[in-house]
Amino acid sequence: MSSITKTKLKVRDVNVFYGEKQALKNVNIDIADGSVTSFIGPSGCGKSTFLRCLNRMNDTIDEARVTGSIIMDEEEINDRRLDPVVLRARVGMVFQKPNPFPKSIFDNVAYGPRIHGLASTREELEEIVENSLVKAGLWNEVSDRLDDPGTSLSGGQQQRLVIARAIAVNPEVILMDEPCSALDPIATARIEELIDELRENYCIIIVTHSMQQAARVSQQTAFFHLGELVEVGPTETIFTNPRDQRTQDYIMGRFG
Amino acid sequence: MTDISTRPTQQGAVEARLARRYRSEARFRAAGLGAIFIAVTILVILVGSIGHQSLPAYTVNELRLNVELSEDLVDPLGDASEDSIRAGSFTRVLQNAMREEFPDVSNRRELRELFQLFNSLNAPQLMNEVLEDPNLIGQQHAFRMPLADDLDLYLKGRLVEETSARFNTPLDITSDGRGVLLRAQDPVFTDRLSSLRITIENDITAEQAARDRLVEQQALAQDEEAEDLGVQVSFADRRISALQAQLDGDELTLRDDMPSLIVESRGGFYKLTTVSIDGLAARAEQVVPPLTDANTDRSNWVLRIVETPEARGRASDNQLIWTRALVERNIIRTTFNGYFFNNADSREPELAGVRGALFGSILTLIITVILSVPVGVSAAIYLEEFAPKNPITDMIEVNINNLAAVPSIVFGILGLSVFITLFGLPRSAPLTAGVVLSLMTLPTIIIATRAALKAVPPSIRQAAMGVGASSTQTVFHHVLPLAAPGILTGAIIGISRALGETAPLLMIGMVAFIADVPSLSLEGMTEPATVLPVQVFLWYDAAERAFQPRAAAAIMVLLFLIISFNALAIYLRHKFERRW
Amino acid sequence: MSINAILALTLLVLIAGGFYVGRSRAMTASRGQIANLHSLPNYYGYFVATWTGLPAIIVLLMNAFFGQQLADRLTTAQLTSAARDMVSAYTVQLEDDASYQALLAAAAQQRSVADQLRSDINTLRRARGEARDPARLDMLRQDRLDRVNLLTATETSLENRRQQIASELLATADAETSDTARQSQAGFILATASASEAELFATDMRRIADGDLPSRDTPVLHSAAQLLVQTENGMMRILSVIVLALALGGFLMARQNVGSEFRARNNVEYLINTGLFLCSVIAILTTVGIVASLMFESVRFFSEVPLQEFLLGLQWSPQIAIRADQVGQSGAFGAVPLFAGTALITLIAMVVAIPIGLFAAIYLSEYAGPRFRQIAKPALEILAGIPTVVYGFFALLTVGPFIRGLFGALGFEDVVTQSALSAGLVMGVMIIPFISSLSDDVINSVPQSLRDGSYAMGATQSETIRQVVLPAALPGIVGAVLLAVSRAVGETMIVVMAAGQGANLTANPLEAVTTITVQIVMLLTGDQEFNSVKTLSAFALGLVLFIITLIMNIIALRVVQKYREKYD
Repeated sequence: MSSITKTKLKVRDVNVFYGEKQALKNVNIDIADGSVTSFIGPSGCGKSTFLRCLNRMNDTIDEARVTGSIIMDEEEINDRRLDPVVLRARVGMVFQKPNPFPKSIFDNVAYGPRIHGLASTREELEEIVENSLVKAGLWNEVSDRLDDPGTSLSGGQQQRLVIARAIAVNPEVILMDEPCSALDPIATARIEELIDELRENYCIIIVTHSMQQAARVSQQTAFFHLGELVEVGPTETIFTNPRDQRTQDYIMGRFG
Repeated sequence: MTDISTRPTQQGAVEARLARRYRSEARFRAAGLGAIFIAVTILVILVGSIGHQSLPAYTVNELRLNVELSEDLVDPLGDASEDSIRAGSFTRVLQNAMREEFPDVSNRRELRELFQLFNSLNAPQLMNEVLEDPNLIGQQHAFRMPLADDLDLYLKGRLVEETSARFNTPLDITSDGRGVLLRAQDPVFTDRLSSLRITIENDITAEQAARDRLVEQQALAQDEEAEDLGVQVSFADRRISALQAQLDGDELTLRDDMPSLIVESRGGFYKLTTVSIDGLAARAEQVVPPLTDANTDRSNWVLRIVETPEARGRASDNQLIWTRALVERNIIRTTFNGYFFNNADSREPELAGVRGALFGSILTLIITVILSVPVGVSAAIYLEEFAPKNPITDMIEVNINNLAAVPSIVFGILGLSVFITLFGLPRSAPLTAGVVLSLMTLPTIIIATRAALKAVPPSIRQAAMGVGASSTQTVFHHVLPLAAPGILTGAIIGISRALGETAPLLMIGMVAFIADVPSLSLEGMTEPATVLPVQVFLWYDAAERAFQPRAAAAIMVLLFLIISFNALAIYLRHKFERRW
Repeated sequence: MSINAILALTLLVLIAGGFYVGRSRAMTASRGQIANLHSLPNYYGYFVATWTGLPAIIVLLMNAFFGQQLADRLTTAQLTSAARDMVSAYTVQLEDDASYQALLAAAAQQRSVADQLRSDINTLRRARGEARDPARLDMLRQDRLDRVNLLTATETSLENRRQQIASELLATADAETSDTARQSQAGFILATASASEAELFATDMRRIADGDLPSRDTPVLHSAAQLLVQTENGMMRILSVIVLALALGGFLMARQNVGSEFRARNNVEYLINTGLFLCSVIAILTTVGIVASLMFESVRFFSEVPLQEFLLGLQWSPQIAIRADQVGQSGAFGAVPLFAGTALITLIAMVVAIPIGLFAAIYLSEYAGPRFRQIAKPALEILAGIPTVVYGFFALLTVGPFIRGLFGALGFEDVVTQSALSAGLVMGVMIIPFISSLSDDVINSVPQSLRDGSYAMGATQSETIRQVVLPAALPGIVGAVLLAVSRAVGETMIVVMAAGQGANLTANPLEAVTTITVQIVMLLTGDQEFNSVKTLSAFALGLVLFIITLIMNIIALRVVQKYREKYD
């Protein structure tokens, strides 16, 4: 872990249970601010479950139970007293399948600022929307049709719209759950570029099943297997010189 | 704008709105819970209020008379043959038994009132008992029949408002030429007296006001009109002074439009006509004489006040008194209302029952099940499993979805003009009703069956096809058994809806009055009958008030059946629920 | 044992035998190796049994449905032909009867005058501009009324004279008591009596033949009934022969086919599929039946009452004809008050049902825990399962008096128990579970990813529901509401019992109003003269009701289907 960057998230002994089943075992990891961290591993290994702990999305599942400590900037996330609504304004999330709301492009992006009351005038709101769309690299494509429904965009554009929607509330952390798995290679490249551009202002965590993607976009990589965090380190090290045999096998494509 | 610098203010903005957002969240959630609460409350009120209204229908006040089956009345031909008994005069037998209870009643009008305590439709029942056992002829026979409906309601406290007070002060009862004189040592009638005075004073005020108006009009009127009004004024004056005289006199007369006062002492019943102004004495008519051998205390007596004079149209004071007397003598007893569960409809509420309608419903449902379940399931299997994708199939699909939402009354019109007029099926018969209801139920069953078939995963079909089963074999050997619980649930719900359906049956003439219990047989299918919901419709606004509790009780029977059906469906769904 | 039972039993035996023979023949053909057969042996059995039983059963069923009618018709035909001599004597007598002929001529003349007046009236009524002449129109109408009354009187005396002649003839014939004479007398009654008399005669004949209690019992009726019994017995014999012949023929034909190469299973399955297809065609037949029966009578109605008068007229009073011969005002058939009453009650019902039903659905699908759902859902299902007649009872006897008391206390006078408000409120309650269960389905099919997206933005649950879930579910909810409206429009019992019958054109919910369905019930229950305009108007109302609900259903189903496709 490089010491130049500040640690944004400090995770200690996190366990997740779905009813009787344990989905995550004793996860410990530090995640740096202003960088991209990727979680890799075979499907069902718990990487998405872990991601959903970071903005308490597991709360929406009745039988999920999370133990352990997740500290963001000195604040305990996994504390019942912390309001998930406030937390999620600070920790944004982008999902596997683009999920624009059944609203116009403008209203999709304005959704967050509106519910959180971030803009007091229409002008301010328009400014936020424009800024977010610009940052998400979508402004040039949609500036003349902001009133069209969000669902009328192509898959890649939808995913960028969703990213713009997430940035609009100006979060500190952005979680991305396999954001490119439903997209074609060109759209994927566009999103990867975008992630790289966003890196300086946000702490970005991305779950991916594509090792190439992890190698391309992230500075730090964590490998999950069967609910355990097997290995974490700078991306270069993980891909070139893994310590654990399981990591090596996975990187070499022996299982997946 | 740099992101990092704006963050603290942003978090502040989020937190500032938080309380308001959570209040709105709580309001929204409360609205949702409130909606369910309202729906459930209405359900409770609905069932509760109908259940409450149905209560009087479950018990009945029964007359248990010892009738004298004298030969000349019940066996006029003298050979105890069926013909002879059928020619007998059983109404007279019952009337004689009543006369024996009240031998003092002699005038014709009063006798007629007395005989109205029971309904003459009970005579055939007595005749049947004699027909069954001709040995009864010439004997005393204990016969039970329901009390007339209005008097039954009276005993249940639903006909008139009545209060009664028990006294422990001696009451002397003497009779003179003009009637009976009641005299107590304490002013027992004072309470009543003051309320009577108020009534009369109110009358005087009202009369005075009317008189003043007349005088005003008279001042404006001319000639003949003025003269007429003058006459009216003098009449009013006379009425006022008569009322005033009452107030000033020794006693107050009880008028017909005032509450009735009835004294009950030592088995005797007296209806008060006047009350003395000191509240010590009253004049009365003796309606029922006291028991001669009564050793009951003369200082133990009851004053009953019937507050509702307008109810006299439905039951006279004498009838109320006789009824009370028969209760005292233990001849009228309250029992479980077997008539309601054993009889078919009747013009007389006390004899009317739901058995006919219940059997009609059973017959109708049998037809509905026989027709709609096999046809519905077959159609669903065809559409879900075999139908090729073509315009005909599409049309059938659209059709079925639309039929499911066609108002039920339209099916009634179809039944009337196609099944009755064109095909000549019998009116009002369970057969016709069943046919109409099965057409109505068909879409429900088809849609439920298709959903159940759809829920069977394709892997089952592929597995069966994979071992070389034909598509028919696949469906009948593998898919259908797995879908059976779902189909059954859908069928039960469809049938329970058919059980409660009324409107289409009105169209095919099921509103007819049917006094026989239909036979549970093939013949019963084509004979006129009625069904439970229609029975409710026939009773709910009948002129006799006693039909209303019976309509409510018929609803309770209907609801019991429907809720049982639904519970069965829910149980089956839970028991066989299978997640793939 | 009746001949029917014997026939059925024989048929059963034949079917069972068919199965056995088919199966064993196949076994023989297989030479001990079932694999040699194309299909399993049972299929050969099914095949033979089906061909033995099916045609015979179809004939039996047709007899069960139409046999009695056919016997009645045959008997009536026999009786009328036996009465041919008597009828011709009667015709001659009619022609010779001076007063009858005079009346006939008078009636014809009066009818032509009345017809002429009617066409004059129609011309004048359609006239526009200067040709309009309301005063003359009124005069003509009055004139026609008088003429028609006169005509009716003449026709009555004509009919009386005719029946007098007929009964005189019958009285002379009564002396002959032989069976044939009696039968010709019966035929004569059937041929010459008035329609209702003839129908009564036929009913009594049927009742005597069946051994039931007739309304009258005469020797003529008896011999007619005897003929009916004979006819029925004859038909039964013929039927037995046909059924047995069909069974045997089918059996032999099918047996001939059985061989090891024969594709028995495919044949049986083809038959099964055809049967299944026919079952699903019943849905189409039902719709055709509904449309045909409504159209047929409605067309006749609209030939009497013009369409625009029906759809735009403001007064509804289908005159109740007290006597059959009463002419004069045929009533007013302007259905606008009915449409307005229906709309008012539907509106009240929707105001109750939409918010409660929707909120209940939202709570059940988004907030409620599994245990709460397990209790609340069946409660709503019970509400949905309560028969409408029960709701009607509740509306009239609990809600109606409550509303009267409530508004009476608030100072409204003359509030009636039967009002649009009480019917509408209770109908709303009836619709609540309908809307809640349809919306529940719709809300549940909104994909979870949309909810997750909203939660991940930091939205609260209610914000997510209001701003994401409901907009996404809107088309489906609109469809559900449309279906609910169509159901409210077609609901009958609640309004029949609780809304009153007065055709008031009012927007005041405290007054009694009437609806389309109430009027259909009023017009088609109880004693009705068929073919009167009054009765026909019920079919026109039925047609309107059917069309309104059909349009709403089609739109609703389309919307819901589109919505489903979007998220599936």
